[in-house]
Amino acid sequence: MTKPGEAKLSHLFQPGRIGKFEVKNRIKYGACCVSNYNGRDGTITPRELARVRVIAGTGCGLITNQGAYPDALGEGKSYFRQIAIHDDKFLPQFEMIARYIHDAGAMAMQQILHAGRYGGIDLGYCVQPSVVPQTLPHFRPPRELTKEQIKVVIAQHADAAKRAIRAGFDATEVTSFMGYLLANFNSRFTNQRTDEYGGSVENRGRFMRELIDAIKQATPDNPLSIRLNGAELMDRWGGNTQEESFELMQQAADCGVDMISVTVGWQEAPESSFGRDVEPGYWNFLSEKAKKMFPNVLVAFGNRLPDPAMANACVKDGVFDYWEVCRPLLADPELIHKAAEDRMEEVRPCIGSLNCLSRLFRDLPYTCTMNPMLGHEVEPEYHVTEATEKKRIMIIGAGPAGMEAAITARKRGHSVTVFDKADKIGGALGAYAANDLARPADLQSVIDYYGVMAKKLGVEVRLNTEANAKFMRSVLHEYDVCIVAAGSRTDMAVFQYLEGSELLVDALEVAHGRTKVGKRVVMIGGGMIGLTISEFLAKAGHEVTVIEQEKRIGGDIMPTFKWRHTAWVDELGIQTVTLAHLTKVSKEGATVKTTKGEEKFIPCDSVIVSSPRKANHDLFYEFQWMVDELHGGGDATVPRGLDAAIHEGYRLGVRI
Amino acid sequence: MTTATDQTFGEIASWQSMLDRHRELFLDMVQGSRIGFVSREASGILPGKHLDGVKVASEVPMLAWQLENGGMSARIERFAGMSSTKVDLLLVADEEALETMRSELGGDTLTVIKRLIRRGRMMFFVFKNKAQLQDAGYEDFLDSLGLAFLGACR
Repeated sequence: MTKPGEAKLSHLFQPGRIGKFEVKNRIKYGACCVSNYNGRDGTITPRELARVRVIAGTGCGLITNQGAYPDALGEGKSYFRQIAIHDDKFLPQFEMIARYIHDAGAMAMQQILHAGRYGGIDLGYCVQPSVVPQTLPHFRPPRELTKEQIKVVIAQHADAAKRAIRAGFDATEVTSFMGYLLANFNSRFTNQRTDEYGGSVENRGRFMRELIDAIKQATPDNPLSIRLNGAELMDRWGGNTQEESFELMQQAADCGVDMISVTVGWQEAPESSFGRDVEPGYWNFLSEKAKKMFPNVLVAFGNRLPDPAMANACVKDGVFDYWEVCRPLLADPELIHKAAEDRMEEVRPCIGSLNCLSRLFRDLPYTCTMNPMLGHEVEPEYHVTEATEKKRIMIIGAGPAGMEAAITARKRGHSVTVFDKADKIGGALGAYAANDLARPADLQSVIDYYGVMAKKLGVEVRLNTEANAKFMRSVLHEYDVCIVAAGSRTDMAVFQYLEGSELLVDALEVAHGRTKVGKRVVMIGGGMIGLTISEFLAKAGHEVTVIEQEKRIGGDIMPTFKWRHTAWVDELGIQTVTLAHLTKVSKEGATVKTTKGEEKFIPCDSVIVSSPRKANHDLFYEFQWMVDELHGGGDATVPRGLDAAIHEGYRLGVRI
Repeated sequence: MTTATDQTFGEIASWQSMLDRHRELFLDMVQGSRIGFVSREASGILPGKHLDGVKVASEVPMLAWQLENGGMSARIERFAGMSSTKVDLLLVADEEALETMRSELGGDTLTVIKRLIRRGRMMFFVFKNKAQLQDAGYEDFLDSLGLAFLGACR
């Protein structure tokens, strides 16, 4: 029977066909980089297998398993715990993965990832078509592949494809995304060869054509997908133009690939391709162009396209054949099922924080800001199970930590009441969202999600209720458990003996819109809160100077988004003074002192304080003799951010 | 080779003054740390033609910053291609960037360089990996140019 969402999104949920394989819908689970959950030698771990079971159950018609490197030496290995497919000893785990995917009724595709310029993580060098030095310090010095080595690499790919098919996969995929070996050969930037593999687009595409041919010969009955850049975003380095990128796609199509997955950007690209500052749907024109150029080849696409309704429209309008989705499914593995059941308001949204990638590039397993379970599927302690003893839980604070704890505990059968002194849920996140220059809707969607889930699950939310000792006495013995998730506050007490401290303004009051500031503003604190409010004010026409005690601004910002803030600071003309602290405030301005002992007067109308922050943990002391169990979570224990708040809230919810 | 004035980079004394003004950025750097600047046009390191830079036909001037005696010194050396140039970081400036740098030497030159990088007027290559650069004390300098934040899947 057709589900209501399937009827609404009928184009997305229509069956498809890839080669001889029927696919139940038009949704392709993208390989999503790698998880870093595996062994250093490329072996697949129980942690990974547990994760893949979840991926298999996402409801996608086609599931691409994460990229495996194809060579024993590890020249193609880019990530610390990337899986390998160069030997039959890895077969049993690949067989299990293929089986999980098939058991879920999906088509199984294995990606082969030779990272080229970004590879050789254990070797101290990487291989490329030409010796083009690195532009990012993350990567290793290059060595040029000889013609003989090129043949070997191609054979390794074909061998890996054959092995994947032997393991039970239906199809394979070779990826050039984002600047891997295939891209290195294709690109004018990294391919400077003078032999038949370099020079013209025709020559640069030779490696790809030979690769396709070798894999097709090795696995003639199985479809091959190839991931190619629609745009490299490497113009400044002399990378391929869009025309050249599509010419290379044409070559792939002519060679008989079954699917082209259109991608955007290299890791070295100076602009964002799928971060939170990119509007959803921004890159769709690239897949639309590919689909028009190659009507007989299946086109998959998903860069910065998190919305099933938009994907449905794209399939309907011929923008692409398959919605390639990954990160939204990290945030909520139930996304497709919820879309099919028309329960999109219950989807835990991907907010594009790129926490996942921030961690990968620090050789850590990827996690998700929004999904605390990600990467812990193998651990029973992380699963939401019915509570043995049902408890009455009160939660102080309706921010992300409190709301996450509330809905998780409620799912386990506890009775949950959330108290907050504000007139709406969301805590400081609401204020932060209101000032966010990237895309406020993303952060607001987190609050909306908690509102929907609290209502659906029957979490009682009592707003405009301040929790203090008097209040606690009024509800004494009504609750078994109290979770203090009251967030943090600006520690104004630090400035209490400062001359003119009465003139200071609390950043949170400004963020909430409760306090207006003058034209010229000094912001004390160049962390996430200080910068976000400063950027908002600067965009609104204020002249802003940020004072930071540390050497650098943005110290608490997610690495993959820090660059955005520093760029905004520059673009908006925000002045920064680092290694300095506030010494005096007057109606005329602020005086700061640097670590070198230099004093500086900055004329301004308002001085806002965003740092330091102090955990609102006072209630712990007040409540410790008033309730059976007392816990704390999120900023109320240590001021940090959204990721820690949600994860701690969840861990409390599954534990109590 | 050191010259007082170079046609490409201007007054070396002005560069030295600029480096002295920003000496705190180099405090953590280890002795011998080196940063080079070359002209994109002169070196032949043009977009899509980097090999010409690797195998540069004739030697061209390179502005080298080298950490010695506790401070960063500016000098003009010869650039004979990437493979033979012993620098940790190479910045390749086009004509517009060079002109802008020359005219801004008395001001906030590092911010100017950061903007030139962002605008694509100046390319950069790294010859040490992240850990090596961190160990060599490059963090503050890379940060001042915005380089530490660039790249890696945004």
